[in-house]
Amino acid sequence: MERPRRIRIGIDTGGTFTDVVALDEDSGQVVTTKTPSTPANPADGFLAGIEKVLGLLEGASGEDVSAVSHGTTVATNQLLEGKVDRLGFVTTEGYDAMLEIARQSVPDGYGNSYFWVKPPRIVPRDLVRSVGGRLDVTGAEVRPFDEDGARAVARWFRDRGVDTLGVCFLHAYADPAHEERMREILAEEHPQAVVSISSEVLREYREYERAMTTLVDAAVKPRLSAYVRNISARLAGYVSGDAGERRVPFYVMKSNGGVLSADEVVHQPITTVLSGPAAGALGAALIGRVAGFDRVLTCDGGGTSTDVSVVVDGVPTLTTEGSVGAFPSKIPMIDVVTVGAGGGSIAWLSPEGALRVGPHSAGADPGPLCYAKGGAEVTITDAHVVLGRIPPHLLGGEIPLDVDAARRGVEGLAGKLGLSPEAAAVGVLEISAWNQANALRQVTVKRGLDVRDFTLTTFGGSGSLLLCRLMDVLGIPTELQPPDPGNVSAFGLLTVDVKNDYVQTQVSLDTALDVDALRTAYDALTTRARDALLREGFAEEDHVFRRTADLRYFGQAFEVRVPVPDGDLDRRALDGVVAAFHAEHRGLYGYDFAGDPGQQVEWVNLRVSGIGPITRPGIRRLTGSAAPGSRTAAPQADGPMSRAVCFDADQGYVDTPVRRRADLVPGTNLTGPVIIEEYGSTVPVHPGFDATVDDFGNLLVRRTGRHEGARA
Amino acid sequence: MFPYGHLTEDAGASADPVLVEIVQGSLASVEAEVETAIARTSRSPMIRDAHDFRAGIHDRLLRKLTGRSYSALVHPVARDFPLEEMRPGDVFFHNDVYRSEGGIGHLPDLCVTVPVFARGRVVAFVQAFGHHDDIGGAVPGSMPSAATTVFEEGLMVPPIRLWDAGVPNRAALSIMTRNSRMPESLAADLDAECSACLMGARRLGELFERYGVPQVEACFDAILERTTETYRREILAKIPVGSWVWEDYAEHDGVDQPRLHTQRIRLTHTAADDPDGERLVLDFDGTGPQAKGPINHCGDYSDGVFLKKWLAPILRNLADTPERMAELDVNEGVVPLIEMRFPEPGTLLTPVFPAPTNARTFVILRLLGVLAGVLAKAVDGRMPADQETIRYTGVYGEDAEGRPYLMREVLGGGSGGRYYADGEDTIHVVPDSRNLPTEFTEARFPFRVESLSLAVDSGGAGRFRGGLGYEKQIRMLKDAHFMSIADRSILSCWGVKGGRAGRPFQVTIDPGGPGEREVDALADAEPVAAGEVIRIRTTGGGGWGDPLERDPDLVVRDVVWRKVSPEAALADYGVVLTGTVDADDLGYDVAATATERGGRARATEAFFDRGPGYARLAGGTPYADVDLLDDTR
Repeated sequence: MERPRRIRIGIDTGGTFTDVVALDEDSGQVVTTKTPSTPANPADGFLAGIEKVLGLLEGASGEDVSAVSHGTTVATNQLLEGKVDRLGFVTTEGYDAMLEIARQSVPDGYGNSYFWVKPPRIVPRDLVRSVGGRLDVTGAEVRPFDEDGARAVARWFRDRGVDTLGVCFLHAYADPAHEERMREILAEEHPQAVVSISSEVLREYREYERAMTTLVDAAVKPRLSAYVRNISARLAGYVSGDAGERRVPFYVMKSNGGVLSADEVVHQPITTVLSGPAAGALGAALIGRVAGFDRVLTCDGGGTSTDVSVVVDGVPTLTTEGSVGAFPSKIPMIDVVTVGAGGGSIAWLSPEGALRVGPHSAGADPGPLCYAKGGAEVTITDAHVVLGRIPPHLLGGEIPLDVDAARRGVEGLAGKLGLSPEAAAVGVLEISAWNQANALRQVTVKRGLDVRDFTLTTFGGSGSLLLCRLMDVLGIPTELQPPDPGNVSAFGLLTVDVKNDYVQTQVSLDTALDVDALRTAYDALTTRARDALLREGFAEEDHVFRRTADLRYFGQAFEVRVPVPDGDLDRRALDGVVAAFHAEHRGLYGYDFAGDPGQQVEWVNLRVSGIGPITRPGIRRLTGSAAPGSRTAAPQADGPMSRAVCFDADQGYVDTPVRRRADLVPGTNLTGPVIIEEYGSTVPVHPGFDATVDDFGNLLVRRTGRHEGARA
Repeated sequence: MFPYGHLTEDAGASADPVLVEIVQGSLASVEAEVETAIARTSRSPMIRDAHDFRAGIHDRLLRKLTGRSYSALVHPVARDFPLEEMRPGDVFFHNDVYRSEGGIGHLPDLCVTVPVFARGRVVAFVQAFGHHDDIGGAVPGSMPSAATTVFEEGLMVPPIRLWDAGVPNRAALSIMTRNSRMPESLAADLDAECSACLMGARRLGELFERYGVPQVEACFDAILERTTETYRREILAKIPVGSWVWEDYAEHDGVDQPRLHTQRIRLTHTAADDPDGERLVLDFDGTGPQAKGPINHCGDYSDGVFLKKWLAPILRNLADTPERMAELDVNEGVVPLIEMRFPEPGTLLTPVFPAPTNARTFVILRLLGVLAGVLAKAVDGRMPADQETIRYTGVYGEDAEGRPYLMREVLGGGSGGRYYADGEDTIHVVPDSRNLPTEFTEARFPFRVESLSLAVDSGGAGRFRGGLGYEKQIRMLKDAHFMSIADRSILSCWGVKGGRAGRPFQVTIDPGGPGEREVDALADAEPVAAGEVIRIRTTGGGGWGDPLERDPDLVVRDVVWRKVSPEAALADYGVVLTGTVDADDLGYDVAATATERGGRARATEAFFDRGPGYARLAGGTPYADVDLLDDTR
């Protein structure tokens, strides 16, 4: 019997479309496609995507699938929609009101405390139960665990049919003993309960945030587990007969930039909350790095929003200060900021008469006016189509657009503003570009970085439409547009290693640091990481461990993360970590206190990431004759070679060449104005910019001179 | 001195509508970027954790353009330094309350102002001010509760040029840090603020360079004009034309025995055909005399322009929905709608130098409530009941290693009931102000937080109940001193339209133990022995509407949620409970509840309930004349 082919599939479920990339590991062939997402049952869209991409690879069948990596929004959407099922919370005596109290902060403006209505707590007070027993900051027992009380609590939840529980005891990051005992008692008394304990989810100080993270983990567990198991079972169906022994490895993307097997991920579901955006940032980071850019801003534009992130030294920056919807999540995640600016974002007039764009979106249904599916409001996509910046159809002609409907809408808006329709459409896009630009500025300022030092990469269905305006507004010299920009996230899924993060809070002044205790803690974290990698099937010699520590100056309430070298941790190595902390602090904040005896350094969190490397698809240099379109599955239908496009309302429509991306070989140089089209994406290159195709098929857009481009 | 004006002849009417939105978005973004940079680089816990700092952007007419927050004023800088003499890279500094035109309330608020340049001249200002740990004076933290002059409160710096064309004035900086007990954090914080404002000024300068000064200035006019018109249309329209008066009180000043320190507002909404136009006139006549202690606030400068913007957020409660309230910006555009009339010098609001002011929150926070109350009279109670959310509590001493420490925290309280919702528990008026996690404080300080919970029954009863305050119990592991700067320990947060007052602030040491004692709410150094518990209860919000009209199911829920005791369910709400919480069968007896409620007389004829503390300070009178809806008799 012929050996099956080895096809790896990346599949990213977005709000509107499910993007799929398949890599033939032997031939290196890459094909991509999209199918509509199916929010009601995301597994349907997932499997339709697999079928569709296999259909594009001649002769391929389910038997040939060697692995599937998946970016999912199941947990994200559950949280964004606030659909938290009946959940119970077990905490330390005296802290029953922890969720009500939260951090006392009211969002936004001064004085909002008078009218702010606090959203419902993730667990209502009547489903909170406390248990006696108290640890101190070192983990030492101040009062013993109340076994009888714990048993009563377990029965209480059992009797009321509350089957999903989060447990967070004070100082459990320092010693998990009480929480683990609680879980044992729950297993005895209430065996059907799904339980998350804080010392496993997030071993880090700050009780409210740790409790919330633990509860979110518990809340998404039932639904994510069911989803992942359902897909696993259906994937198993691809492997039939003789090959029945084989399982299709199925990985799920995590927010931290790693993947984890489906079997493992159901035990740490919270790690998937930014699954999709993380894949996009990783894919763009890899494409940028290969093309020679290691400081990159990623701008992933979709139908409802745009995700932006910062890549430094080829690696997307991480945060532990994230949140999803109303729920804080302190687990490490790629620092993605979401702006309400996507193709479906609605242009509207505020009660003050101000022209606003987003964050409300018409989504895919009813969608923009030009979708002619009942949309009633002007969207970004309508402005683009009226100005001729996108073709009058989507996805290479699969979906025609109603340009007249869009124009009528824009004219109505323009009338209210006293502007020409072109000026109104350009203005809508200009405002949207500024919204994105401001978000990009804020993600860089937060890290003390200058946005002008970065290369912008734009991708996603709507990401590249405003790239010239973004470059201009932000003063960015170069923009990189990867091939198949609609599929960067799915491509990113093929590039990701298995990765698990472990943290231990262990607070100590550097002057009083117990080096042995530190070693012991790192060893324990590494052991946990090693065990997980072994479970994932990685041989020990392939394991990679990355150690870091969070340090701060005594008195600060925030920490700076620095690498901790491999090898023995003697005092000299630790001094090196402290020196790295001073340097990183200066880089981030502009000052440090190195050499100042009045300022003591404090160790706070110790971290280990366990990494199981996978084979990445190579991004190959193209020869002169091979256009990047060879990676594109469905080149668009032949269209006209030019059309009237408006870049500047004052100058009106100009006849603008239209080029197919598939025709552009490396070394091609195009001068704006020009429109470059491909399946699922369009790049309007404005006057004053030019575009070259590099050896990897990326479009590099640069300014040719001082030109402000279209301006309000 | 600085009359409200416009930058363009048509007040921005011809500004490009697209550019207006771009400018407004950029202003908000620059403000956020400056605040992010300060939060990242500052070191004072008051700035970092309590988030007690703000950035603001002002135009060259000194009008505040951004609207999410209060801020200080540029007026004192422009008064002392002509704009024509400013240079790029200049940074101005001041904290001198009496030279601040009313923009700075107490000395720990240090203010940095940076001019923005475009095409060679000053076109705007970026400003930040923050509450720093210590600026000298009689006590650590620079907030002596028994101060009788401003000289005891720390170092006063009138407006100075702290950076001269990019060069810091080392002499001035060394004088300031030498006068602080925490020189390193003061230096770091100042550095953070100067750098952040300079960055913001560069960013804003680019906006002018890109679009042109006249074009951007037309947008400034348009932004402010829109605010004026929105408030006229959505807020002033809700207030009948007429005049109302109300007052409230601080209860002590740290020096004299507790008494009523009156703060009074007569609110007049003038008609559209008034010779001076339609506006709200706030007349503070009847405000009590200047206090000996530090609760005075310098309000009567520059026509009260600071107070106008400080109080205007209260007006937002008149908008149609909570969502709309949150959307309304408070920028300089509110100023033309408000006229302030101050009493003669020598009152709480018009103190005479060198009167102390460090606890001026007792006045400016209370004035928010006085305005809410007088508006409530005008609009039949469609305003929130009272809240009190700023107070400082702390302990200090030596830690286990013998090092001195000061743990100081701003604990919020419950907000008042609203005509659409209950008040919220344990919140804070300063956006993003945070409490301190137990797992942080226990790592740093020698105490154990035995519990952090809600003070049962602290929320004022009402058809919409007041939110609850904290009940925090701290067990000291070493001998220490407790400090507190708090008002509302005798008087309560008031309820309105039949709603009852919340419970006041209360600190008890060793509750239930042999050494049980209550601590005064203004305390600099109350000794606490190792092993003793300090129990802090903060204020509950006032209730809104008659508690006998509250849905009994919600009362049952509140008892299950341990926000209302079973006793209070009957006493305050007339709900006759059945079953118990523990047995999981709590309910209420419908018939008995109806009988119970039907037999109750209305508690009081007054429109406001100030709680039992009022009679104690008012010589036994249950309510003030102004508490009646019809106060003309």
